[in-house]
Amino acid sequence: MLILNCPNCGERNVSEFRNGGEYRPRPACPREKDDLQWAEYVYLRSNVSGVQKEWWYHRAGCGLWFLAERHTKTNEITATYRWRPAAASSEEERKADG
Amino acid sequence: MAERLPPRTGEVIDREEELRFQFDGEDYLAFSGDTIASALAATGVRVFSRSFKYHRPRGLLCCAGHCPNCLVQVGEEPNVRACRRRVEAGMRVEPQNVTPTLKRDWLAPVMRALSPFMSVGFYYKTLYRPSWVWKLGEPLLRAATGLGKVSVPKIPSEGFDKQYLRGDVVVVGAGPAGMSATLSAAGQGASVLLLDENGQLGGHLRTTGDTQQRLPSLLEKVRAAGNIRVFTETTVTGWFDHSWLAAVRGHRLYKIRAGAVVLASGALERPLLFENNDLPGVMLGSAAQRLLRLHSVKPGQRAVVMTANDDGWEVAADLRAAGVEVVAMADERERAASSSARVDALSADVPVFWRHTVAAAHGGSAVQAATIVPLDGDGDTQAPRHRQDCDLLLVSVGWTPNTGLAYQAGVRFGFDEKRAELTARDMPENFAIAGRAAGTHLLEHELAEGALAGRSMAAAAGRGDAPAAAQWTQVQEEKAAEPARSAPWVSVAGAGKRFLCYCEDVTEKDLYTAVAEGYDSIELLKRYSTISMGPCQGKMCSMNAVHLCARANAASVDETGSTKSRPPLQPISLGALAGQNMEPVRVTPVHDWHLERGAKMMVAGLWLRPERYGDPAGEVRAVRERVGVIDVSTLGKYKLTGPSVPDILEKIYINRWRKLAVGRVRYGAMCNTEGIVMDDGVTARVGEQEWYMTTTSGGAGSVNEWMQWWMQSGWGEGVQLLNRTDDFAAVNLAGPQARALLQKLTGLQLGNDQFPYMHARSGAVAGVPCRLLRIGFTGELSYELHCPSSYGRHLWERLLAAGEQFGILPFGVEAQRVLRLEKGHLIIGQDTDALSNPIAAELSWAVKLDKEDFLGQRSLIRVTERGVRQRLVGFTVPGVSVAPEEGLQIVALGSNGKRPEIIGWVSSCRFSPTLNEVIGLCWLPSEIAETDGAEFNIWRDERPLAARVHHGAVYDPEGARLRS
Repeated sequence: MLILNCPNCGERNVSEFRNGGEYRPRPACPREKDDLQWAEYVYLRSNVSGVQKEWWYHRAGCGLWFLAERHTKTNEITATYRWRPAAASSEEERKADG
Repeated sequence: MAERLPPRTGEVIDREEELRFQFDGEDYLAFSGDTIASALAATGVRVFSRSFKYHRPRGLLCCAGHCPNCLVQVGEEPNVRACRRRVEAGMRVEPQNVTPTLKRDWLAPVMRALSPFMSVGFYYKTLYRPSWVWKLGEPLLRAATGLGKVSVPKIPSEGFDKQYLRGDVVVVGAGPAGMSATLSAAGQGASVLLLDENGQLGGHLRTTGDTQQRLPSLLEKVRAAGNIRVFTETTVTGWFDHSWLAAVRGHRLYKIRAGAVVLASGALERPLLFENNDLPGVMLGSAAQRLLRLHSVKPGQRAVVMTANDDGWEVAADLRAAGVEVVAMADERERAASSSARVDALSADVPVFWRHTVAAAHGGSAVQAATIVPLDGDGDTQAPRHRQDCDLLLVSVGWTPNTGLAYQAGVRFGFDEKRAELTARDMPENFAIAGRAAGTHLLEHELAEGALAGRSMAAAAGRGDAPAAAQWTQVQEEKAAEPARSAPWVSVAGAGKRFLCYCEDVTEKDLYTAVAEGYDSIELLKRYSTISMGPCQGKMCSMNAVHLCARANAASVDETGSTKSRPPLQPISLGALAGQNMEPVRVTPVHDWHLERGAKMMVAGLWLRPERYGDPAGEVRAVRERVGVIDVSTLGKYKLTGPSVPDILEKIYINRWRKLAVGRVRYGAMCNTEGIVMDDGVTARVGEQEWYMTTTSGGAGSVNEWMQWWMQSGWGEGVQLLNRTDDFAAVNLAGPQARALLQKLTGLQLGNDQFPYMHARSGAVAGVPCRLLRIGFTGELSYELHCPSSYGRHLWERLLAAGEQFGILPFGVEAQRVLRLEKGHLIIGQDTDALSNPIAAELSWAVKLDKEDFLGQRSLIRVTERGVRQRLVGFTVPGVSVAPEEGLQIVALGSNGKRPEIIGWVSSCRFSPTLNEVIGLCWLPSEIAETDGAEFNIWRDERPLAARVHHGAVYDPEGARLRS
């Protein structure tokens, strides 16, 4: 069972958390996306073999949604942190925004 | 107990206490501390079970709880290892897979005759054409093969539990290396859990060499240390991510979080392949030592010892010391390769065959003789052959480290051809292997390696300093200089049955056949032949299978690899995994009242809710004609405050909120990003910056998480969301008399002008502070009252008391479902699924695509552009009184005897007592759904049932009663 380091509560068993899937910032203006771009955001996941940035929710704890960087093959978790607005304008956001 | 030896130092039996038990219908005596196997062996029992496929007699092989040979049924409990389970007085033990008895199994000669036709995977090749052959053959195969019997009605549903443990260092295996690791880790200040599958600590210190030399002091130190917790008879069955271990002791499952793990689980002695190598009396050398030393039982009278290392010579010495005659020794090595101090003494009066091996065992139900043959360089046989009478044939030819747990932890192993040992690599930082599990066999080396491993793992868990790398190097060098314990793998050619896998009766020939048929990779070979898939999980066969596979492919052992090790390492009962039955339920503040009134309760998600109090039709009529009240405390309830609440509501809901005035209530539906309906409910604006949101009972949790997600990732500025679900009780008062009733309990102005439909008010009702929402899921004049939970029952009882004069009835979920269906209201999750968008689900009136942005909007734009193929629509079924079941399919009847085509399904259906008609909601192709009155067919009982599309509510379609 994984141990996650909740930014509020510290290290807890993964059974206290819900996984929210890989981090995919929502495009700022969905209406401007064509069908293909939108379908890509809604349905496609990178499914990386390696370190993945993903959402976790501390369901049986403080109720925080936070981000974790987890290696999908070894389950090693290298970092956990709160979402920050700065993260939204990161490279991934620009990429997802096309 | 004819084979019982006089009392010996180190034995674990108490001769003062005799226990009586039954095996195969006969009475036996045991001493306290005996295992089922040791007690039976002490009486001379040789045959313990019949084999899985051929029903061959099988006797003790490993005596270590690994092989399948001594699996027995104890009472109702199947597949108990007789060599592990201690005898209890009155125990009823039965052999498994016998037809009909252990001694006389008529399937054994049948299977012997059939065996030429039952090669590996024969049923894949034969029992498939014509198709009925499998139906005929499968029950026969199942009846003829197998293990214990599970008696379903007698499965214990209680007595299983779980315990959570934590340790800085968890040491698996309490032999010399494990105890040494434990002491050294504990010495660094680490909290240590020491787990061992045996009944006593000590491992091979109890069964080999001078048991009194080291063991007492180690035991005393472990006992004296304050930070060591010891768990005996505890089997570790799996390693999971982040050092989470599963272990089982009897009916208890331990879930263990380890800071670091020392694996000191020892080594498994490897069986040898020869003809009839499964005969009772053919036993591993270490098994004989366990019987001798732990239980003072003579395993036989006249022994042949087959060895390839110095351990076999120790076995022979132990046998002689116990009065067993060693009639011959065979050693695969040259005499020069042995460094055992026992050689000279034994050679003096026992015939020793150097560079020989055993080619065959002979006998009926137990071994009576062995054929010993010389080896040439390649392991092929040459004349002359020696036939030696014996009743015991002990095999000590090599060790396989017991490293399944290490595989699971990510350790990989290579194969050192010279020493015929596995070598570990890719060791995680917080995992170490020590002792025989690491290929270290000399006691001093084991102790040194264990101490290093313990200290390293304590350091990995943050306790003390790690040892210098040079110390590891020294231990490795010393280990490399030990005499080899595993000879190069040999298998002499021969006829007859040479068993590789005892669990599933797979022979050497089967394996060669499988490789020849193309299953030449070890993982494919496993799946096709089922080797390593039985109760021993490969502990007896894996290493031999890898060698065989390598030989068949002319590849190296390293290239061949090994099969992946997965949890559980040992069979584990499903009861232990399930543990106690602890299903949480949620109850409302009015729950006890419901029970007192004899309500029939139903499970709704985690909640218990009244399904009905009496006749649901009567409850429906009460609401339609007079007044009724339902407990809706299960609704999700949220308080939203802040200047930006309208912004987030606009994004979360598909409809508009910005302009909702204070004191108004609005229905809202939510979609996910894909445009699929997630939840619905009503939300009231109760102040300029305060809103009160309700969700469905089932959706309360997920809506909270959903909203929190968006709020915590950018949309949360200026909004506070507080979950009040448990803080408030809620009741819905519905019916034409609702106003008159409520007016008796409140000073609030309830007139249609002062408190109109879809408005919210706050005020005292029956002295309780309430929030009142005038809404109407049931289609009648109705008020939903929300009050602090602690007042819930009081409010409920006062409403019922005040309603007595109006003929009030409490109503349950069933009546509510009928009432809402008469109004054509959908229930999310009942009438919608993971493919339902709001446009198709009769909610297009609520979808405001021209809003700036909302979740699901972009996807719904595409839906409107392309149109919807299926729609949710109301229907009636004329002329029947029994409602078709929900979930039935709707079909287009084929012409000319063609099969009907499925075109839709019934999502809700009830008999309406108000309209005296069967009504429902269903999904239909748009072209049918669009026409009011269109006919279609529900497929019920293999026949079509005519139904008719009905647009709008069947009851009060204008909604006049809601607003009255």
